[in-house]
Amino acid sequence: MTFLDVRDLSVHAGTTAVVRDVSLRLEESQTYTLLGETGSGKSLLAQAIMGNLPAGLRPSGSITVFGESSTADETVKRRRLWGHSMALLPQEPWLALDPTMRVLSQVAETYQRVRRPSESRESARKRATGDFLTLGLEGAERKLPGALSGGMAQRTAFAAVRSGGARLLIVDEPTKGLDAGLRDSIVSMLKQVAANDGAVLTITHDVAAARSLGGTIGVMLDGEIVEQGPAAQVLAEPRHDYTRRLLAADPQTWGPRTQPPPLGPVLAANGLSKRFGHHQLFANLDIEIAADERFAVIGPSGSGKTTLGGMLLGLVPPDSGSVWRRSDVPAWKFQKLYQDPIAAFAPRASLRTSLRDVVSRHNLGWKEVEKWLDRTRLRASLLDRLPDQVSSGELQRIALVRVLLLRPVLLVADEPTSRLDPITQQETIELLAECLVDAGCALVLVTHDPAIAGSLASRVLTLNPPSPPAP
Amino acid sequence: MTTSSAFKPMTRWQWAGLAILALTALFSLVAPVVGGDPLVQDLDHVMVKPSAASPLGTDHLGRSMLARLGHAARLSLLLAALSVLTAAIPGVVLGVAAAWRSRWTDTMLSTIADGVLALPGLLLIVLLTAFAPGRFWPFYVGLSLALWVEYFRVVRASAQSLLRGPQVEASRLLGFGPAYIVRRHLLPELFPLLRTLMTFGAATSVLSLAALGLVGVGLRPPTPELGTMMIELLPHYQEAPWLIAEPILILLFAVTGLALVAGEREFR
Amino acid sequence: MTVARLFLRRLVQALLVSLMVSTLSFFMMRALPGDAAMRVAAARYGHDLVTARAADAVRAELKLDRPAASALFSWWGDMLRLKLGTSAVTAAPVVDEVSHQLGYTIRLALASMGIALLFGLVLGVLCGLWPGSVFDQAWRALAAAIRAVPPFILGLFLIVAFSVEISALPAAGTMDSTSLVLPALTLAVGLSAGLIRVTRDALKSVTESGYFAFARTKGLSLNQALLRHALRNAAAPVTAYLSVQLVFLIEGVVAVETLFAWPGIGHALVHAIYARDVPMIQGTVMAMALLFVCLSALADFAILAIDPRRR
Repeated sequence: MTFLDVRDLSVHAGTTAVVRDVSLRLEESQTYTLLGETGSGKSLLAQAIMGNLPAGLRPSGSITVFGESSTADETVKRRRLWGHSMALLPQEPWLALDPTMRVLSQVAETYQRVRRPSESRESARKRATGDFLTLGLEGAERKLPGALSGGMAQRTAFAAVRSGGARLLIVDEPTKGLDAGLRDSIVSMLKQVAANDGAVLTITHDVAAARSLGGTIGVMLDGEIVEQGPAAQVLAEPRHDYTRRLLAADPQTWGPRTQPPPLGPVLAANGLSKRFGHHQLFANLDIEIAADERFAVIGPSGSGKTTLGGMLLGLVPPDSGSVWRRSDVPAWKFQKLYQDPIAAFAPRASLRTSLRDVVSRHNLGWKEVEKWLDRTRLRASLLDRLPDQVSSGELQRIALVRVLLLRPVLLVADEPTSRLDPITQQETIELLAECLVDAGCALVLVTHDPAIAGSLASRVLTLNPPSPPAP
Repeated sequence: MTTSSAFKPMTRWQWAGLAILALTALFSLVAPVVGGDPLVQDLDHVMVKPSAASPLGTDHLGRSMLARLGHAARLSLLLAALSVLTAAIPGVVLGVAAAWRSRWTDTMLSTIADGVLALPGLLLIVLLTAFAPGRFWPFYVGLSLALWVEYFRVVRASAQSLLRGPQVEASRLLGFGPAYIVRRHLLPELFPLLRTLMTFGAATSVLSLAALGLVGVGLRPPTPELGTMMIELLPHYQEAPWLIAEPILILLFAVTGLALVAGEREFR
Repeated sequence: MTVARLFLRRLVQALLVSLMVSTLSFFMMRALPGDAAMRVAAARYGHDLVTARAADAVRAELKLDRPAASALFSWWGDMLRLKLGTSAVTAAPVVDEVSHQLGYTIRLALASMGIALLFGLVLGVLCGLWPGSVFDQAWRALAAAIRAVPPFILGLFLIVAFSVEISALPAAGTMDSTSLVLPALTLAVGLSAGLIRVTRDALKSVTESGYFAFARTKGLSLNQALLRHALRNAAAPVTAYLSVQLVFLIEGVVAVETLFAWPGIGHALVHAIYARDVPMIQGTVMAMALLFVCLSALADFAILAIDPRRR
């Protein structure tokens, strides 16, 4: 049976089409994955199918759900199907849960009010409790969404969606911000939906997730599907140039790099420990980093990677242990790159001002800036903008230029590319590696992605998920 | 704390507010010069309608309304400017200090601020006016004492989150000192907040002076002051309704101008 | 735990404000020009009947016969035991007078709060449900205009509008139940104008939120989503707004009670200032400040009850 048949769907904002002539079919027990980077119109496509586009956007084309046809703008017809027949698992599950309602109630209310209105409150809560058990959420029932981790919030939202009984599930960026382990578990949940007489339309920028979902893949670029076909075929023999670049950007495919020979140490940490509340993040770590070395710290979210990075720079005091940093160079030879570069710049100063401040503080020449801009392939005219007026990829490169001006001996890069699109991520990591060689600088890379760590670093430290409170 | 980081230019409404304020200020400068002595009575010409000779008419004692309103407006704006500046400077300095220095400094300053906050500003002013009935200084001192807390709390909260945030951390790692952090990171973020607080503080000053004048514990007649003028002219409402309308309009003019400059955001 | 901490904070606040008011009153007593005791005695017994003995009695009562430091401590001690002395004018105990007036003030405050909540919430919710509609835009514009008008000016308007025949201040007082209407309305209009805006914005931001959209797409009807997910989330900012607005309620009470001759604490304070009646000044200011602290504490607990995140 055909669950979903979309024909020539376009979405217009004013006179420009942000989604153009998209056609796709989804049969029972199948998965369809739309792959593309941020801003390619994927999320709008999901909202257009559901029938809840933001005001000001006009859809056109036709959409058939469970055999019932409607034109794209007849949203009332599809709204009647919400919850019990078709449902949307939105991105940012944290924002999808009511912040002031305990999470079990948010699942139980769908059982009681959507699946069968005659059901009693107690039996609805019992079913919801059962779901929490199967999804590994036991103990979280009475929590508020703000107290959940990203993975738990994702599973709670999933339970709330499933409890309505919808067989057609549309999923928007389910793996955003999740580490590899959580990614695999959400993907297997989605595959199970399809296996149980359902069908799943997934929207993602994550090649690895698309690979393990299988089924059909459609690749989206600038609001259009440029290539679609069975997953195995599209991933193995991409025909469109964009698909090839996208696949090449997957860190899994990167090879290891040649490593510079190790020199004397720039940093040594002894017996570092840190607790967070009742959780022991790590204990008794010894780390020594040599000049020019590439060192990576990996681990799931909440394992204390960022804290450890801050500790090595002296930004976070350890509970016990000590950090020695080369003392014959000034403190500012130890630098940091941030996960969210925009948070690391003064927002009301132009980028030129921010860089000029560094140049004059350390008596450098503007020539240095031009040299590194050139090296990172940035146009100098970008500098006249404010930090929020350039793309995240460009801003991360400017942040790189800013720290390289000081010729650092050690750079701690905290998830420097996790907010970037795959292709931009690859370019940025490439540049980072080249520039570090030029500058003769050691690297501590903090990341959740073992593939990036493996490709870039010669040594990898893996932090475990926080241990439960000691008895 | 701000989602859009770009410096927001003034909106059309804010320019309109600024224009209204400028007009009020101009009136307070020019009217006393043109209008003559605000205290000279002329019992032969009481409650004269506005005319070329006396543009805003005369009151029930034949005094020039132009002169009286000009002096009253000047007094209100002067009080607003003085008390806002006196409150803003220590408020900002202490707010930054509380965010920057030890926990102990913060706790102490915050407790004091909490205590001051428990006494609504108008009550503090009333208490002080009892020391010197009909004088100007209780208003100035009372308003400054009441208003600094607002600056302190807002500045402390936003300075705290900024100082703990990555942009300041990055600057410290790059080798910059406290002066740079204040200049480049704190002040640009605080400035729009201060603008809003200052306009609200100024409105509070103008309103407090008039409210207490109206109920009779403010400045004493014959000093021209908007609130006392309103209560003096209220009994003559039926014969000369324009008279009481004049101080009310001046007051609303000033307060509306301030509210427009403050913009959409409201702290209260 | 949180409840205890909030309670403690408000308790410390109450103590600090009482000490502050008490200290200022103490110095006021000594700073006033002339022989305070003589003046009080004259006011109390009439100018003809003032004797040195009467003045001495007043002097002792007000601790004017003792050195400043010891007098200040004993003054604080009295204040903490709620021994606020007797009115220098009527010779009645301040505590009695103030508790009588407090009843009137609370009635006025409750009435105006009730009116404000009724209009503010209903109109705010309607505007928030249809943001951008003609209804919404009209009420928002009106509310914005009203917010620019301070309560005492509104009071003047109402006096002029409703009692056109006046030749002096209307002796509104408390003749009958309708005399509460004008002062309560004066305070309520400004409050409800603010409430309309805050309620509307809160509801609008909730209905535009991700969790509201999710509640709809997971199958809840509009009414179910509003009842279960919008109300509680919108109530939190509205309550927070009301709690901040309490300052203006208390400040407004002073002007509005005097304007309408409503025999509450604000009115009494103004009269005590006229008469330089320091014990009454201390008593009334302290009562208003403590009323303010209590109402703030109530608002704290209301916010706590509404928003489980704060617990």
